[in-house]
Amino acid sequence: DDVVVLKLAHALDTQHTVHLGMVHMAEQLHAYSGGTMRVDIYPSAQLGAERDLVELVQIGSLAMTKVSAAPLEAFVPSMKVFSIPYVFRDRGHYFRALDSAIGQELLDSVAIARLKGMGYYDSGSRSFYMVDTPVETPADIAGEKIRVMKSQTAVEMVAAMGGSATPISWGELYSALQQGVVDGAENNPPSFYLSGHYEVCKYYALNEHSAVPDILLMSEYVWESLDAQQQQWVQRAVDDSVAYQRELWNTATEEALAAVKAAGVTVTYPDKAPFMAAVQGMKASYDGTEVGRLIAALEGVE
Amino acid sequence: MKLLTPLADGLEAVLKHVLVALMVALVGAVSWQVISRYVFSAPSSWTEEVARFLLIWVSLLGAAYSTRHRAHLGLDLLAQKVTGKAEAWLHGFTAFVIVLFALGVLVVGGGKLVALTWELKQTSAVLGIPVAIVYSVIPLTGALITLFALSPASGATTTDPVLGGES
Amino acid sequence: MSIAVLLVTFALLFTMGVPIAFSLGLATLATMLMTMGFDPAVTTIAQRMAGGIDSFSLLAIPLFVLSGQLMAQGGIARRVVAFSKALIGAVPGGLAFVNVISCMIFGAISGSAVAATSAIGGFMIPEMNKAGYDKNFNAAVTATASTTGLLIPPSNILIIYAVASGGVSIAALFVAGYLPGLLVGLALMLVCGIYAKRNNFPAGERVSLGVVARTAVAAFPSLFLIVLVIGGIIAGIFTATEAGAIAVLYAWVLSMFIYREIDLADLHALVLKSVETTAIVMFLIATSMAMSWILAYENIPALVANAMVTISDNPIIILLLINVVLLLVGIFMDMTPAVLIFTPIFLPVAVELGMSPLHFGIMMVLNLCIGLCTPPVGGILFVGCAIAKTSIGQIVRPMIPMFLAMFLALMMVAYVPAISEALPRFFGLID
Ligand code: NA
Ligand code: NA
Repeated sequence: DDVVVLKLAHALDTQHTVHLGMVHMAEQLHAYSGGTMRVDIYPSAQLGAERDLVELVQIGSLAMTKVSAAPLEAFVPSMKVFSIPYVFRDRGHYFRALDSAIGQELLDSVAIARLKGMGYYDSGSRSFYMVDTPVETPADIAGEKIRVMKSQTAVEMVAAMGGSATPISWGELYSALQQGVVDGAENNPPSFYLSGHYEVCKYYALNEHSAVPDILLMSEYVWESLDAQQQQWVQRAVDDSVAYQRELWNTATEEALAAVKAAGVTVTYPDKAPFMAAVQGMKASYDGTEVGRLIAALEGVE
Repeated sequence: MKLLTPLADGLEAVLKHVLVALMVALVGAVSWQVISRYVFSAPSSWTEEVARFLLIWVSLLGAAYSTRHRAHLGLDLLAQKVTGKAEAWLHGFTAFVIVLFALGVLVVGGGKLVALTWELKQTSAVLGIPVAIVYSVIPLTGALITLFALSPASGATTTDPVLGGES
Repeated sequence: MSIAVLLVTFALLFTMGVPIAFSLGLATLATMLMTMGFDPAVTTIAQRMAGGIDSFSLLAIPLFVLSGQLMAQGGIARRVVAFSKALIGAVPGGLAFVNVISCMIFGAISGSAVAATSAIGGFMIPEMNKAGYDKNFNAAVTATASTTGLLIPPSNILIIYAVASGGVSIAALFVAGYLPGLLVGLALMLVCGIYAKRNNFPAGERVSLGVVARTAVAAFPSLFLIVLVIGGIIAGIFTATEAGAIAVLYAWVLSMFIYREIDLADLHALVLKSVETTAIVMFLIATSMAMSWILAYENIPALVANAMVTISDNPIIILLLINVVLLLVGIFMDMTPAVLIFTPIFLPVAVELGMSPLHFGIMMVLNLCIGLCTPPVGGILFVGCAIAKTSIGQIVRPMIPMFLAMFLALMMVAYVPAISEALPRFFGLID
């Protein structure tokens, strides 16, 4: 048969809005190409964790993957900019920045890792949640053990706010919180809800310190093997799915916050100013570097 | 193939000490993770990554060491039944397919993986060291397995039925 | 088609005596070459091998292997035997009970069945021979009782299952293993009781309460390891992996500085031995990770699950079918490769039937424990025979009632989920 099959693997479960976005992308591509192109999706890390999947896309045994910008730092240093706290003023600014020329420049910068950046899926804003400590200012997490992703920047950020950064894998986090190995963690509302961490953590402070997008990547080699028409179909299908997924994400966030409140979690909206002040030095340390330039460029987006 | 024996013996002797050192470091890294958290209340962020990389090195280099002892788990029903020429043929065949895997997958595939991650400058998440260094153990293991499979076995061992290795 | 290539290549190499890890790797390569070029195929396999063992959970394996070695050689086994003997040695057939209980306790701290067979069997079998027990019976009881240590935590095979299943909690699996492990132990003691009565096996010496107390005190530091390791995991003081490091440090201090039964030269040899045991199992895990990758890539688990559901839609029948296949597998294959190969294939079927991955793992390990004691591939059996100075052919007869007891325990564990799930639920480790 002459159907072009694109194998897409990711590490999220099938309930996740990003997975649903990809399913939409597959449907759109099928429609645009009149059935001559197909996307096979392998969810739930069955073909590897995020870092492995990027390598397999580089190797060429997979056509596409989705990876959070945080682990992508290891391949593309400029991706660090997304883990720097308070680069974006609010959600509106975040989306305008992603859709701007500098957002596209960042997406294209993955070419140094022989990848083609296809689009940004929304992954909301990350905030602190704690087992039994209400958080109003950075002083409230001083000395607390906070789980972070395995990323240097994430460790730096929590340290800048005075917390004890503890890298623990996401899968082990529930019991680590329950058993007091860590005192809290940070993530977006849907993840806080779907992971069940809200059963253990009674305080969720929406200080929204960072917004780390999910990035859809394609193998440069596979992309170049497609003709111009096919490339256009794929890009259109991805763009459709990005818009579709942003809507899903907003709904998921509202539902998650309502659900955790109903379960007795105290959700607060602390003043962001003291948190921004705490990480000012960390941000300043990038002055004069490529990441510093990107911070300024993103902040400069109206 | 007997000519390879001195080389294999020499490398095996070095390998022994490297493996013991890596294993002690592995125990040390995981222990430090607990100690730093409870005794110094300052959880270490690098111990997990170091320990995981040490595990990859111990596992693969140890697999090469086990090849020298013919200690890998397998079904030896046929090997016990045959004698003489057939036995020699069977041993030759086993060595051949082991070398096929070691050269094709570990040396070539592992070598390509090292080249890819080196060229594209991929770094580890916490320590920021080149991932190519971690992966370099794959082609190294492939080369050692090739040598050990082609040279005569040393120190036959009985294997642990559950986990493998000496019992 | 791809599944046929995978199976035929593997079966051919495996029966010719090529080590399982290499048979798996080459079968994976042959299958991959059907869908992609040589370069991406070999690079992907290399990536999956290293990426597959790049896991904090798997770090527990070298640690528990090393702590098991330290315990087997550091005087811990002997103290456990002395304590069990003071406790129950005086009843008729007492030494058989002592054997089972010692194997359970030693298995409970060391995590290795072969360590239990050689360490406990090394003391108990000669003693039972001297006391007039049938040597074939002695070998059979040691081999079967040693397998309880694979269910009672810590257990390396449960860690391997956790990784193969794609992330069942190790803490939950450890706690889940207690009741099934005790159940097998009790079933074996029942067989021992009947056997002792029919053969008029002698009662041991009655000992004073003082002796019981003295042996208990001597064994206390060894027994405390159970509380330390499992208590620490349940209380959340450390993860299962970290518990492995604690067990190593504890067993090292105990055997080298308190019992003083090993010295620095022993330690070097012991670490090297642990490295080899670790490497053999980790290399197998590495190649089987590459195999699971191509299985998933080709959607084979889903195909097998669909095929099995068409055979019968009765969960009881399918579960029985899975158990029969696993029992047959266990006859010819060691436990680690069996868990690594069959978990990705059967687990989706079991989940489809409504079984929890936790329950399935315990059932699978108990099932393969039976295979561990059957020829032709049954290492524990060989160790037991070697110590008892008997042959495989001769121990088959006393083995049959023990297999029957284990099989009954297996059926109970398979069809009564609460045996596996009640304790982890009680400790809040599962929903
Ligand atoms: Na155990
Ligand atoms: Na067997």
